[in-house]
Amino acid sequence: MSESKSIPAPSQSEDSSPILTLSGVSIGFPGEPHLLTGIDFEAHAGEVIGLVGVSGIGKTTLLRTLAGLLPHTAGEVEIFGFDDIRSAPRGSIGYIPQRLGLVHHQTVGYNVLMGALPKATRLQTLLSLPSSEMREATRSAIVAVDLEEKMLDPISQLSGGQQRRVAVARSLVQKPRLLLADECLGELDMATSEVVAKQLLHLAREHGTCVILVDHSPVRLKVLCDRVVELRQGTIREDEPDTMRLPMV
Amino acid sequence: MTSQFSDFLQLLRKRPRILVMAGLAILAVLTAEHLQIGGPSLSRGWENLLIILSEAFPPDFSVLTNRASWANPACNFETDFMCSPAVIGLIQTLEIAFLATLFGALISLPLATMAAHNLSPLWLSTMTRNLLAGLRVLPSLIWALLFVIVVGIGPLAGVLAMTLYTIGYLGKLQYEALEGVGKHPLEAARAMGLSRPVIARYFAIPEASNSLISQILFMFEYNVRHGSVVGLVGAGGIGWYMQYYIAPFKLYDRVLALLIVLYFTVVVIDFISLRIRRRFIESEEIRKPRWRDVFLPQR
Repeated sequence: MSESKSIPAPSQSEDSSPILTLSGVSIGFPGEPHLLTGIDFEAHAGEVIGLVGVSGIGKTTLLRTLAGLLPHTAGEVEIFGFDDIRSAPRGSIGYIPQRLGLVHHQTVGYNVLMGALPKATRLQTLLSLPSSEMREATRSAIVAVDLEEKMLDPISQLSGGQQRRVAVARSLVQKPRLLLADECLGELDMATSEVVAKQLLHLAREHGTCVILVDHSPVRLKVLCDRVVELRQGTIREDEPDTMRLPMV
Repeated sequence: MTSQFSDFLQLLRKRPRILVMAGLAILAVLTAEHLQIGGPSLSRGWENLLIILSEAFPPDFSVLTNRASWANPACNFETDFMCSPAVIGLIQTLEIAFLATLFGALISLPLATMAAHNLSPLWLSTMTRNLLAGLRVLPSLIWALLFVIVVGIGPLAGVLAMTLYTIGYLGKLQYEALEGVGKHPLEAARAMGLSRPVIARYFAIPEASNSLISQILFMFEYNVRHGSVVGLVGAGGIGWYMQYYIAPFKLYDRVLALLIVLYFTVVVIDFISLRIRRRFIESEEIRKPRWRDVFLPQR
């Protein structure tokens, strides 16, 4: 993990304007009280941001809102210069759900290649004919997460840790500008966790992807993230999070 | 008397099932009365059944050896067996079922993605569901009658009728399977900004593929069985040959022989289909299907 951290962070002077700005945003489900209110938050390109908070506080709901899957109920969101998340360019947002969102009846190669779909032309999509660059990117991503021997195995035959690596490899191919990863490091052994974390950092440092990472391990977040924010008392806090003070369980 | 009646009312209160049973019995008698179903017509039916059975036994298996010179379309094989009513009828039934299932599946799958709530906007899924429900309103037999009027007697009417019914029926099974797909792959795809058709094709359909393939095989089985029914109204297949023997000649022994041939064919197809479907059904313990699975419920 410490080796991964040695990848240098991009200097803020390169581009100081945030790619994501939330101003007074409220989040929740229609007909129910707001889950989170008054969220003011900025995220920059190349940043790795940890998101913590007790279970049920709304971390996943916040990520799903940022992914454009749920509408925010109040406030303003600006993303890549657009004032509507759904206007964000195709492929610019990557989302790794808690359950990873893989197609279980397909192979590792197929799932990783799906990260290239946003860049595919209509003809390529229609005929299922990925370009040689897409295939090469897929192969490289699979090698990067140490799954080259499993390339043709169906997802259902992989372990939980291997499946998480596939989900990250898909994001490596997609190279989104904003990657929202919901507990993709959870329940992993140290070695696998390091492989996954290294690739997330690679995305951030090499491609300028802003990674927002939900995780429950304070140690892991301190090592991996540039900053950690906490959801507490129905809003977002950027001071030293309570959760970070808890002893590691 | 009054105390007996009140006891009876108390019993009914304690055991409402008796009340329900009595109500159902009264309703059944009234309905039968309204439909004028009674003893005389039942006894007449029994007599007719005995006559048919006596004429049907023993079955006349010449339907497997005699050449059907009146076959539609004409049979060009040299051997009589290959041009016998049973073989021609069976082959036609299988061909009708195959084409109807193939065309039905090709058309129903895009419709099912449009009908699935998790893949389409409400207005589109509502419209498509209504279309599929409309196709299911008429049974394949009525569709066959309509197409016999439109395109004439023969297998084409059967293929068209069964295709329409397959679209309605398979489409419903397929959109239910697609709606059963977990939300996470679809959400990951939506976050990427992919369009609904692309999400359906690359995420939802592959994720539901096992169920979809299993349903198509089930539909083929179903179409083989119903292929004989649509033939009765002139839409080709073994049913057409049954109808040929029933209507003018009342050759029940040959009809029974055709039914026996059809029965064994359906059993064999059921078994093969079961074996193939087992490969696609999600189960930790996939055991080899046995012949008895075709006839008995699986434990």
